[in-house]
Amino acid sequence: MTTPLELVRKKRTEAVGRIVSKGYLASARVYVGMATCEIAAGSKDVMAVFQKAMDEGLANVYLSQKGCAGRCNLEPTVEVIMTGKNPVKYGKVTPRRAEAIIERHIKNGQVIDEWVID
Amino acid sequence: MAAKYVITLCDGTKCINNGAHRVRAALDEQLRAHGLTDQVRINLSGCLGMCEKGPIMVVNPGYVIYGGLDESDVERIVTEHLVGGKLIGDLEVEQDHLYNRFYRIFGDVGFFGKQMRIALRNCGIINPENIDDYLSLRGYEALGKALTEMSPADIVAEVQRSGLRGRGGAGFPTGLKWKLTAAEKATPKYVICNADEGDPGAFMDRSAIEGDPHTVVEGMALGAYAVGAERGVVYIRAEYPLAIKRITKAIEDARAHGFLGERILGSDFNFDIEIRLGAGAFVCGEETALIHSIEGARGMPRPRPPYPSVQGLFGKPTLINNVETWANIPVIIMDGATWFSTVGTETSKGTKVFALAGKVVNTGLVEVPMGTTLREIIYDIGGGLPGGRKFKAVQTGGPSGGCLPERCLDTPIDYESLAKAGSIMGSGGMIVIDEDSCMVDIARFFLEFTQNESCGKCTPCREGTKRMLEILTRITEGKGRAGDIEKLQRLGETIKKASLCGLGQSAPNPVLSTIENFREEYEEHIEQGKCRAGACKALIRFEILQMCKGCGVCRKVCPVGAITGQAKHLHVIDQDKCVRCGLCFEKCKFDAIVKV
Ligand SMILES: Cc1cc2nc3c(=O)[nH]c(=O)nc-3n(C[C@H](O)[C@H](O)[C@H](O)COP(=O)(O)O)c2cc1C
Repeated sequence: MTTPLELVRKKRTEAVGRIVSKGYLASARVYVGMATCEIAAGSKDVMAVFQKAMDEGLANVYLSQKGCAGRCNLEPTVEVIMTGKNPVKYGKVTPRRAEAIIERHIKNGQVIDEWVID
Repeated sequence: MAAKYVITLCDGTKCINNGAHRVRAALDEQLRAHGLTDQVRINLSGCLGMCEKGPIMVVNPGYVIYGGLDESDVERIVTEHLVGGKLIGDLEVEQDHLYNRFYRIFGDVGFFGKQMRIALRNCGIINPENIDDYLSLRGYEALGKALTEMSPADIVAEVQRSGLRGRGGAGFPTGLKWKLTAAEKATPKYVICNADEGDPGAFMDRSAIEGDPHTVVEGMALGAYAVGAERGVVYIRAEYPLAIKRITKAIEDARAHGFLGERILGSDFNFDIEIRLGAGAFVCGEETALIHSIEGARGMPRPRPPYPSVQGLFGKPTLINNVETWANIPVIIMDGATWFSTVGTETSKGTKVFALAGKVVNTGLVEVPMGTTLREIIYDIGGGLPGGRKFKAVQTGGPSGGCLPERCLDTPIDYESLAKAGSIMGSGGMIVIDEDSCMVDIARFFLEFTQNESCGKCTPCREGTKRMLEILTRITEGKGRAGDIEKLQRLGETIKKASLCGLGQSAPNPVLSTIENFREEYEEHIEQGKCRAGACKALIRFEILQMCKGCGVCRKVCPVGAITGQAKHLHVIDQDKCVRCGLCFEKCKFDAIVKV
């Protein structure tokens, strides 16, 4: 008989499989902050920019929302994790900045230093 | 070909100095030699905060952390772990802890370096609406472990040993509360999550639920198993629609996976959770009022004892804890009480989440180990006051707390030290105040809030806070009388002693603590009609100096037409008409308007 603990571990393996099958290992992972505070700062519009770019063919990107990490005064925040590179976290991202992040960082691998939180 | 492993190499300065780049080269070399290049993905990270053990490598899935590596270790990791599937015990630097997993929030070391994340360990990391994300970070493993290896009494003992205390404000020992509830014979029993969060400006619990709702669900399931309850209620204010949506989804998903419902994970433990919305009254955060509210009665407190652990919801034994308290439970079960109790101070274990706000550069949500000083939070994490402004006070504990002056900045955060300094830990509000704020006015603001929120059931709170507010209001209007300070103190002490619930018992705190620490400001208002911060409108006046160029800007911005004067001639303010909004003062380009 499987114990509850074995069952949870099995579910975890399955969950990891599902996440991977949704493209988690894409060469860029993008996380947009979507808590009440982030949304109030405008993150829904930012999310829409990334979503639209993907709908229009931006490939090899895994897009996800996340909760608030606590950086209130710098919201909305967007994190970009490119394979083989340091994760980068951008603050005060507007839809226009989001477009620039797609063009310069995601497509061309250029980090836009002046918007990075560090 | 999909990658089977993701390896994260720490790319912090110390790790690089210790040879991280050589390790990287060796890893590339080994992967090529074993034909694994396509199956392993390499990521870099900023400093992971384990510098003394660098170079650091994290292997996922599994979150296995290897440290102190050199080239020869890399070969072992590739052959034994990646190919052989075995962990290499002697290279592991840390167990697979649940806490502190913000590998991906790093980079921002200034802000996160002094933080330690237990309750918020997944916030800002996972997608809160996807149970798979939570599961992938060992979500619900604590529940599985409890149902497999631990009796309810074991869990109670573990929570007791951890030293965890309630994060909702009062700091009552959580394990003891669980033990008392578990010992009751009456059934059915209930568990409640208090997500009312009524303190003005507080958003810790909202963020916790929005960022990681499953940890609250898992914590509640563990509590229910420990005390023998089959039903749980999350009481959350209706003003939190996104948090409500996410906790609702979390409960549904947990049910679909068999983490809630009947015979959970094949055991004979049954438990389910429902949601009740609160209308947003401060007093409904008080546990007995909250219980009345769930029962459909008016949200008013009642005297305790009997405590909810004996007679709670529908008269039955009830375990009620705060959101953040619940969020700590899975970590205590997985990482162990022994580890948990190493974090914090003698009397206060673990971490505390604060909503840092006010005149501070980095406003935000922070979680720090107990024992961190106020100075570290405000200056190191918060980045100090903006524009070189001068610190005046820090308010902790919201409307039940107090204001601490500069000399208290080295107070370590724990329940006892903050109380000794004259404030309280409370639920985690922390507001930094600079010289532009008037302490009397701040005390008045909080008292106005509690006075409004007083439910009216007991006289000391209902009438007492009203009288205190009247006195404070007249002081801020420059109509204070000799003896007002003493009257406030006497009233305050009486209200604290005689009120029925915590609302009244703590309402005078902001007033009493500002009198204690900033008495001279009260005296100046009363004796000289002066507000040094220039915040009390009745006590300030704007005047135009002779140097006025007559540009007319002030005349145009004045909303009440109180300023007159001809172009290129001295303008004047009609003090009877002026509403002291300060617009002219801000707009004057020649600094010809002064605040006196
Ligand atoms: C006026 C008043 C308001 C309160 N508001 C809250 C609240 O918003 N959230 C909360 O968790 N506890 C609140 N409490 C404390 C609760 O009564 C209770 O102590 C707490 O829910 C117990 O959980 P804990 O031991 O995990 O802190 C309040 C108490 C008072 C007197």
